Amino acid sequence: MTNTSSPGVLHRGTIIYYVGSVTFAAGIVLLAVGTTFITIFRIHYGSEPEKIILTFIFTGVGATLILAGINLMMRQTRYGYCIVGASAFTSLLALLIFTSNYPHNWRYPLISYILALYVVGFLALLGNAFANSILWMIEGKPEAVVGREGEEIKIYTDEEIERDIEEATRKSIELSASELKFKEPGVEEVKFGKAFRESRGDTIRVKDDIGEAISLRKTINHGERTKSGSVEVESISRSLGDVLRKEAVEKGRFGGIKDKIKGDIKKFHSFIRVKKT
Amino acid sequence: MAKGLDIGTMNIICSEREGDDVIFTQQRNAFLELESSDLTKTMLDSSKVLYIEKDDRIFVLGEEAFKFATIFGKDARRPMRFGIISPNEKDAIPMIKLIVERVLGKPGYRNEVLCISSPADPIDLDMNTLYHKKMMEALARRMTYETHVIDEGLSVIYSELADYDFTGLGISIGAGLTNVTLAYLATPVMSFRIARGGDWIDEQVSITTGLPKDHVCATKEKGFKLDLEVEFGSPEGALSIYYDALITYVIKNLNRKLAEITPPKVEFPVALAGGSAMPDGFSKMFERKLREAKLQIDISKIRLAKEPLYSVARGDLIAARTQEGEEVEESKTEESAE
Repeated sequence: MTNTSSPGVLHRGTIIYYVGSVTFAAGIVLLAVGTTFITIFRIHYGSEPEKIILTFIFTGVGATLILAGINLMMRQTRYGYCIVGASAFTSLLALLIFTSNYPHNWRYPLISYILALYVVGFLALLGNAFANSILWMIEGKPEAVVGREGEEIKIYTDEEIERDIEEATRKSIELSASELKFKEPGVEEVKFGKAFRESRGDTIRVKDDIGEAISLRKTINHGERTKSGSVEVESISRSLGDVLRKEAVEKGRFGGIKDKIKGDIKKFHSFIRVKKT
Repeated sequence: MAKGLDIGTMNIICSEREGDDVIFTQQRNAFLELESSDLTKTMLDSSKVLYIEKDDRIFVLGEEAFKFATIFGKDARRPMRFGIISPNEKDAIPMIKLIVERVLGKPGYRNEVLCISSPADPIDLDMNTLYHKKMMEALARRMTYETHVIDEGLSVIYSELADYDFTGLGISIGAGLTNVTLAYLATPVMSFRIARGGDWIDEQVSITTGLPKDHVCATKEKGFKLDLEVEFGSPEGALSIYYDALITYVIKNLNRKLAEITPPKVEFPVALAGGSAMPDGFSKMFERKLREAKLQIDISKIRLAKEPLYSVARGDLIAARTQEGEEVEESKTEESAE
């Protein structure tokens, strides 16, 4: 029971989750560094411009990355990733403009524009995270992400899990009842009419070879396995496998490994040939 | 040898292989109770009517139950309703047992493989099929058959969709119910039952036109053609309306159930079977409605079974022969291993 296309929801891979975590951690570190700079440099209105720029860059970028990281770790709606990208870009752009204009061109109305740009990006990130959390709570359908990167992700909803449990329960009930034996109730005296002994019912004869039975058997047993039944072949395969594994680990330490493996493979092939004949 | 058995609301059909032929043995799943008298028994014996006598009562079984019901102005009793044993019929199990024993006959050898089709659980009724399934299985086991139960819709797929690797949608529209199964490579992906079928159509037409139900049923079974142009006030017109309603209901529920699963991304052919799919024009109407419905799966082809009434029994026989082949192979492997 897989659902890989629930409408309106963009399914994220586990890699995005990890990217989000790293971004969040980086943001925390930058913000911490920025805060430390405030304390160390004792930042005030009259501080050196380089110290102010450095401190604000660290705190500004750190705060943006924290929010972007939180957003990436959350399940996003269809346009969620676009919103996160655009918002983070807006905030970082504001910081970039700030660094290029401070302190020489740092005057109104440019200050308002830069501040507005940063706040818009920051609030968009905050709002998107908040909206997604609310949406997730309203939907009330917690989904579990299962699977490794590169595999198709299986998302099981509560309904699917319930259905599977129901199906499994039904099957087990059916199996449990199969051991029951039914007794004939008290046989009353029943007399059968003459026709009961004559025929089984209306019959129709159709020319039909029921060839589907063979096709069905092939379809059901798709990729039939042939049992070798040979203990020797299996034990040699196992020992060959062990040798190959061991040799692979010790590769480089010993010379002539290739020759040994080749020898073993040859032995194996010749053994198979003997078995076949 | 192996046998298939379709225990339907209206007919009980056994299928078996004989030489290059398949033989279908059929009996109506109905009975009628009459007062016992020597005269009645003589009359029934001379007319070769199938009956039993129990506690000074005579039970006429099979097709003749309907004929005598018309003569005596009674309703034939039906041991099954909505595709399973009728809870309202106290004599249901003994009567089904009698008909099944007669239609099925004794096994050719002990543990002869028998496949019985069974309906899936309904989506529009609060009941399950476990009791029915177990009763039918037990009944056949008592006759020393090696019994297997398969889904009715799957039987249709086995019978009609071999060319498509047993992938597709099998729909069996019987008297008491409609069974739907979606299978991929002979494996059921989804299966459900709708408690509406030919009987529902008969009932509705009977209520709306005031005609007796048996008369409506007879009209339906004798040359009725499903058409878009119908005569005002005719039973055929009412039948067309209710057939249309049934098809719409089935497709609507099919689409609803399909939304709950993730079917493989392949084209699915559709096979229609069952006694109620027999009227001319049925498959055409079904196809038109199905295409209009825009299902959540791709439909490639819609085909009516060659023998709609016997399709399920034939599918059961295919399953039984497959099972028998596997058991023979297994026993051969075991013997060679020893």
